[in-house]
Amino acid sequence: MAGLNRRNFMKFGIASGALLAAGEGLKSQALAGTVKLQMGGKDFNFKTGTERKAIPTACWSCVTRCAAMGFVEDGRLVKMESNPESIRTLGKMCSKGQSGPNDVYFPDRILYPMKRVGKRGEGKWKRITWDTALTELSGRMKKLRDNGHPEKFMFHYGRMKASSSKLIKSVFLANYGTGTISGHTSICEGGKWVAQELTWGKHYDNWDFDKTKFVLNFGSNIQEAHTNHIPTSQRLIRAKVERGVRTVTFDVRYSNTAAKSDEWIPIKPGTDGAVVLAICNVIMKNNLYDKSFFKFIRATENVNASADEKISALKSHLSKYTPKWAEKITGVSASKIESTAKEFAKAKPAVVISYRGAVAHYNGNDTERGCQMLAAITGNIDNPGGRCRGIGPHWKYPKGPKDKPKAKKLKLAHGFPGTVAYPNHGVCQQVLPMIKDGKAGRPEIYMWYCHNPVYVNGDNQGNREVLKDEKMIPFTVTSNIVYDESSKLADMILPDATYLERWDWEDMVSPNQVPEYYIRQALIKPLGEARDLGDVVIELAEKMGMPLGVGSTKEEYVKKSHEMTAKAVKGFPGFDYMKKHGVWHDPNAKPKYYSHKKEIKADKLKDAILDEATGVYWNPKKAHAKNPEKGYAETKKAYKGYVGQKIGEKVYKSFPPDKVNKSGYLELYSALLKKKGFAPLPTYYPIPEHEKMKPDELHLTTYKVAVHVHSRSTHRKWLSEIYHDNPGWMNPKTAADRGIKDGDKIKVKSPIGEIVTNARVTEKIVPGVIAISYHVGREESGRYGSGRKSPVAGGANDNDPDLKNKFWDTYGMHPNWIIPNSDDPINGQQRWMDTVVTVTRA
Amino acid sequence: MSKKDSISRRDIIKTGGAMAAVVAAGLLPKKAEAAKNGTPRWAMIVDLRRCIGCRGCCVADKSEYGAALGRYNTVVKNVEFGKYPAPKKYFLPRLCNHCSGGEKDVPPCVEKCPEAKSGKRMKLGKTRYRTGATYKRPDGMILLDMSLCIGCYKCIDACPYGVRSIDPFVKLTRPDREKDFGVGKCTFCQHRVDKGIAPSCVNTCQGRARIFGDLNDPDSKVAKLAREFKLLENRDKTTLLPGEKTEPYNLYIDPDGILARYKITKETKLEEFKSRFE
Repeated sequence: MAGLNRRNFMKFGIASGALLAAGEGLKSQALAGTVKLQMGGKDFNFKTGTERKAIPTACWSCVTRCAAMGFVEDGRLVKMESNPESIRTLGKMCSKGQSGPNDVYFPDRILYPMKRVGKRGEGKWKRITWDTALTELSGRMKKLRDNGHPEKFMFHYGRMKASSSKLIKSVFLANYGTGTISGHTSICEGGKWVAQELTWGKHYDNWDFDKTKFVLNFGSNIQEAHTNHIPTSQRLIRAKVERGVRTVTFDVRYSNTAAKSDEWIPIKPGTDGAVVLAICNVIMKNNLYDKSFFKFIRATENVNASADEKISALKSHLSKYTPKWAEKITGVSASKIESTAKEFAKAKPAVVISYRGAVAHYNGNDTERGCQMLAAITGNIDNPGGRCRGIGPHWKYPKGPKDKPKAKKLKLAHGFPGTVAYPNHGVCQQVLPMIKDGKAGRPEIYMWYCHNPVYVNGDNQGNREVLKDEKMIPFTVTSNIVYDESSKLADMILPDATYLERWDWEDMVSPNQVPEYYIRQALIKPLGEARDLGDVVIELAEKMGMPLGVGSTKEEYVKKSHEMTAKAVKGFPGFDYMKKHGVWHDPNAKPKYYSHKKEIKADKLKDAILDEATGVYWNPKKAHAKNPEKGYAETKKAYKGYVGQKIGEKVYKSFPPDKVNKSGYLELYSALLKKKGFAPLPTYYPIPEHEKMKPDELHLTTYKVAVHVHSRSTHRKWLSEIYHDNPGWMNPKTAADRGIKDGDKIKVKSPIGEIVTNARVTEKIVPGVIAISYHVGREESGRYGSGRKSPVAGGANDNDPDLKNKFWDTYGMHPNWIIPNSDDPINGQQRWMDTVVTVTRA
Repeated sequence: MSKKDSISRRDIIKTGGAMAAVVAAGLLPKKAEAAKNGTPRWAMIVDLRRCIGCRGCCVADKSEYGAALGRYNTVVKNVEFGKYPAPKKYFLPRLCNHCSGGEKDVPPCVEKCPEAKSGKRMKLGKTRYRTGATYKRPDGMILLDMSLCIGCYKCIDACPYGVRSIDPFVKLTRPDREKDFGVGKCTFCQHRVDKGIAPSCVNTCQGRARIFGDLNDPDSKVAKLAREFKLLENRDKTTLLPGEKTEPYNLYIDPDGILARYKITKETKLEEFKSRFE
């Protein structure tokens, strides 16, 4: 024995593990130094020791969509973990992901198709068969289509991504012929995306924490919730602890992100843009900018300006935004702004991050553009450690019938006419108000998916009245797993499969600039009669006599996508490998940076023409331009023909446009904004409501916590167990001025209504503000989320032994009742953080 | 093969023994014996710099065990202090301390358990031990055998940390006790660790704030961290309730002195060991 070397020893350890697995008991326990614990990938029943079946899949709790592993025992999904092979998640998972099994087995889940029998909203239902449901729905849809009005079928989705989006939207809805489609991005972060499209083109900024030296945060709560949470949050904390990377967070609220930052700098709501501009002012004034990057910047009307001219234009524009000026507006001291600016400029590389706290305001567009400016003038754009362009995989997928009809649409998805300059990501909060208004027409069938329109938008009361009114919308239908506030107002409910019971290919952005291909596979058969909407639309199309030709199930669609991708992507290993491993990335791929520096060679320019006004080389044929002589800027969707940007004597890929005809420069000077009457350079716009505030009024701000997902998780018992109440946070000074003590009942009144909730007096918020999270305050979310048993047809699953262990009887108060639906005039972002309220003891 | 790989077992034991002697002066002969016998000493190190309060661990545990609502094997507490504009908030993950038991070498829960030795004779490596309703395995895990439990709940009272609770999902099996519920707590995921897989909470922890491993293996991450941060020498600053002298093996890296700000009393210990925030 003494002669055994360590390698043999390891073997012995493994052998003893195998013996244990065979039920040999503990007597052959491995010895110290021999046990090399594996981090995951396997799980066992804690009572019997039996190994659980591990199946790679992908989470769907939030939009991060982490690669995951499901563990199944006797046909039941018992446990989720991350996928240890994933380069995005590095084998880690958050509380939301861990609560996955609750999504399948919560007792109030909708398991059978249901049809309304009472008045709309009355809550009386009968169970129907799938055949009855789809015969009725396809009959109604077919009638509209046959009459030449497919646009009267409106589809409104909350989250629909990757293969689900391609199959349902690009194949099914396109083949049906309706363009009356709305997403939900403007109540999320649509404004941020538009601001990016107006500056560097295609949206999504990845923050390269692995390589950065300094993090400057405006209104992102990345450590609790983010569009790419697990991949980025773990890298941020790792950078801090292992490399001493400093984080400075500007926020109204001391969030968990602020708590894990080196500095929290409290700021008055809606004024982040003023700090950003003042920081840029300090950097330009002190010549701390990175001159080399100015080559790719547009900072003047003249697209051929020299770097010095651009620098001088920015210096001049920014000269009024001094730290002293910003101090008066924001409450942040001029010296702090000055020192933060210098720290940011000198830490190379540094990354500026931003999210809704900064963006979901009247002036959010220019706050985000200001962040782009800060990154650009310091050369922290698409560089290792900076603000990088998001990289995701490029799946190939079947597109369905070639000769699709030209889509007809009701103009309901992009806001009231003339109210939003660039609604590139829709203005979904105005969909129901516009239906009420009626001028853009009204749908005869309104279908929503993974969405709860009367809860997640503002003005909950107004939206309910619209959705409830059969005269405004004759037929309402949803595909859902949970009976929520909106399903209550449906005429028909289809029982959706959960994400753990369905197939997808997935494509979320990688934190390390190397794309990862990954899939979601069904871990178990759907409960009851639940069906994935992806499968349902294939059958609906058949019933309407318009077959999609993409396979008979979503699984087949996903499989076909794998076959197509294998032909297009070098090294892609195919469906069997993906089912076994769940994830794949090209092991030889290098992280992608500096794509703007790529020169466009002459042969690529032969079908392109130079637009002198913008310096853009574009291919009018590719853009389907009928009159190219109108020029690049004035031709509808000319951006689709973009080839490169002429800079000096060379042509670069630079920053290709998306959704709007931007030049190929990183446009700090936006000709597009100027055209619509806005300032072309990032500018500070005060928020009109805030300018008129009286001394006794407060800002209302909303936020997310680490253990819930939007409005989609309160039925998950392990999450609601931790968080089921949302008192309004108030600073002690704010509370004392109003005679309010911690725990007091308070009335919060806005111009559109009032709510009664409780006060939480806390040091973790700036004075003059009340902050209320929006996950809870559910009226319908089953027993765990709302205390109400859902009237689901076919009977609820009451086998959950935890029903008698539930100990909470408070469910919070939703703030969206008193927040109006109101848009950023540039980008259509719902202005979540601009509402002015009075707060009194109730 | 690297030089490190070719260390013989004897060398490992030697180094292990030397390490134990150096870092844990005052290690009792019995423990040294276990170490010499090659038994692991499992420990959980919680790095408070790294915990971001996501509660992934709490829910992972719920799922791993199907734990009843209201009952917890692990929790994360918010520790808050300071005034605006400089408030402070820290996250303090808590679990069973898997106490060694200090000078007596018997942790209080085992000491108070009337059935602590009523189970089978077992051997872990060369080290003999006996199971019980609550017992300590030679590798340091404090484990439960509910087929032996009589439901006296003295262990719940005995644990100064409040990590034990009545488990409504476990019925006792001893005659006359069939109507009573059992007791639950963190087991360091013994069922995973025995098969070479890290505990569920460690697996999921995105901050890598939970580090689990064998202190008797000098090359393990926990042994290295214990040396770097002197976790075993400074138990008054690296463990909860050092005054209880239970010698926890849930050790904290706590450069900002958060443990000292966190209070557990006999009256509040059970209420405190719950996971909830607003």
